[in-house]
Amino acid sequence: MIELSHVSKTYAPSFGHPARALDDVSFRVAAGEVVGLSGPAGAGKTTLLSLVLGHVRPSSGSVRVDGIEARRFVEREGIAYLPQPLALPGRWRVADALTRLAMLSGIRASYTRQRVDAVMRELGLYDARRVRVKSLTRDGRTRLGLAQAILGDRRVIVLDEPLEGMSANSLDRLRELIVRLRAFDRAILIASRDTAELQRITDRVTIMDRGRVRRLGTPRPATPVDIETVFHLVMHQGGEHVLAVFPTAISLGRSTFAVRVHGVAPLNRGLKELLDRGALLASVAPAHAAVDSSALAILNEVGT
Amino acid sequence: MKARLTAYAGLQLRDYFLGRAVAVIVATAAATWAYASTRGLTLSVFDSAGGIDARDRLEHAFEFVLATFAFIAAAVAAQGLVARHRARAYDRLLFSRRMRPVRFYGQGFVAAGIGAVMVATAAAELYAVAVHPVSVVGVAGYVALTWLTIGGLAFALSTLTTFHVPLLGLAVGADFVLDHYSSGHGATDAATRVIGVVQYFLPPAHVVAALREPFARGLVVEFHELAWPVVFGIACLTVAVVLLRRRPFAS
Repeated sequence: MIELSHVSKTYAPSFGHPARALDDVSFRVAAGEVVGLSGPAGAGKTTLLSLVLGHVRPSSGSVRVDGIEARRFVEREGIAYLPQPLALPGRWRVADALTRLAMLSGIRASYTRQRVDAVMRELGLYDARRVRVKSLTRDGRTRLGLAQAILGDRRVIVLDEPLEGMSANSLDRLRELIVRLRAFDRAILIASRDTAELQRITDRVTIMDRGRVRRLGTPRPATPVDIETVFHLVMHQGGEHVLAVFPTAISLGRSTFAVRVHGVAPLNRGLKELLDRGALLASVAPAHAAVDSSALAILNEVGT
Repeated sequence: MKARLTAYAGLQLRDYFLGRAVAVIVATAAATWAYASTRGLTLSVFDSAGGIDARDRLEHAFEFVLATFAFIAAAVAAQGLVARHRARAYDRLLFSRRMRPVRFYGQGFVAAGIGAVMVATAAAELYAVAVHPVSVVGVAGYVALTWLTIGGLAFALSTLTTFHVPLLGLAVGADFVLDHYSSGHGATDAATRVIGVVQYFLPPAHVVAALREPFARGLVVEFHELAWPVVFGIACLTVAVVLLRRRPFAS
């Protein structure tokens, strides 16, 4: 869905020396994937995201989204985007800002209020709906950034440093959000310096350093059948049965549970029992991405 | 889902009234106070028994206020749009949505023009009822013309630099200075010709300023008098559109 082919980007300022931000980068995110982009500051992550959003044009190579030039795709469909830092006028109040951006996201007038309220509740901003943007904490601003990004129903989601300044609670919300947003026809690209957390919330992590891809993340192997794995269960109804069926489960709030099991067989037995008790599941997904030893070696090498 | 930009125009107009319009009114009031102080105008000019002289002074004062308002409103018509959004990277958040910068900023600029015309029209209507008759349509037309000519240049400059307001001030100031010099007795014919050529590269602010009187009094203005400011304004807006299309973002 997102495809960068031999992309280089050199910034040539009016004064001073040109700076090469990306050097022959090839990179792909397929529909249905959640991909992490990691690397130290200055690695070229934000430039790569800017290319995907069509904010900048590549000096060479091509950037295509869903088969068409990136900027044309954005103007045709739009991309859900969390920028870092979040640049919104400080005098706006949270609900006003989201209402305006909902309008610009094309949400119907009759549905705007409902959608804005739902997004504020999902990201824990409802109580802060009358707070001015400039008064929000860093965590609050990041959540507002996420909220405005998910107002519309987009097929491509790009999040730049969503983990910046996030509290533990917000991190849980983000994990739940990623699980909820995952869809077979949606590509999610997340850039962060927090490689460890990216490993947890994405299918694979690509590591960048000094404008080059140091390691292309490979798709996470199928969840091993005989090792302890944590799954996230999002319940549609019958959440009260989860602790009875999985005694070690931890409630993450909002009908989401972290369930630790040894392999997929006990997971499926438990799920069957839940269904037999009348519960309905909204989604099941492994909470932790596998980290292979070569990836860890590269992480150590680039010092992240 | 396409952005509901037409509906958003209402918010852009509201932003104008709550922000730039207030600043324009305050700046115009300050300029009016300065004008009244230097010209020795007192409240007695409002006295209907003041005769022709008082009425004449009042009309000139009104025309000064009109031109001041129109120029300031035009100068800030593009304020807070392209250049500020780029400086704060707000444009990146906005245009990840399904819309084009030309449409969004063009609409914001038009909203500023409509807002300025509405403020001027309301003030002129009140003035005409309370003090002495002025052409409300002429006032609206004058503010619109200034918005097109001076505001058009401001809009084009804002797609290039964050310093568009000072640059606009310099360009307008240079035009007035050159016009003052060439129309004075000291200028030679050769100098006047050179200045005439140079002025074609500057905003025709002196032409717009000179039109305040016929507009405010509701007199007929010949098309050839409007041609230069209108063509200049349209040319600036065309340049702005081309620049926004070719370079929609800061980098």
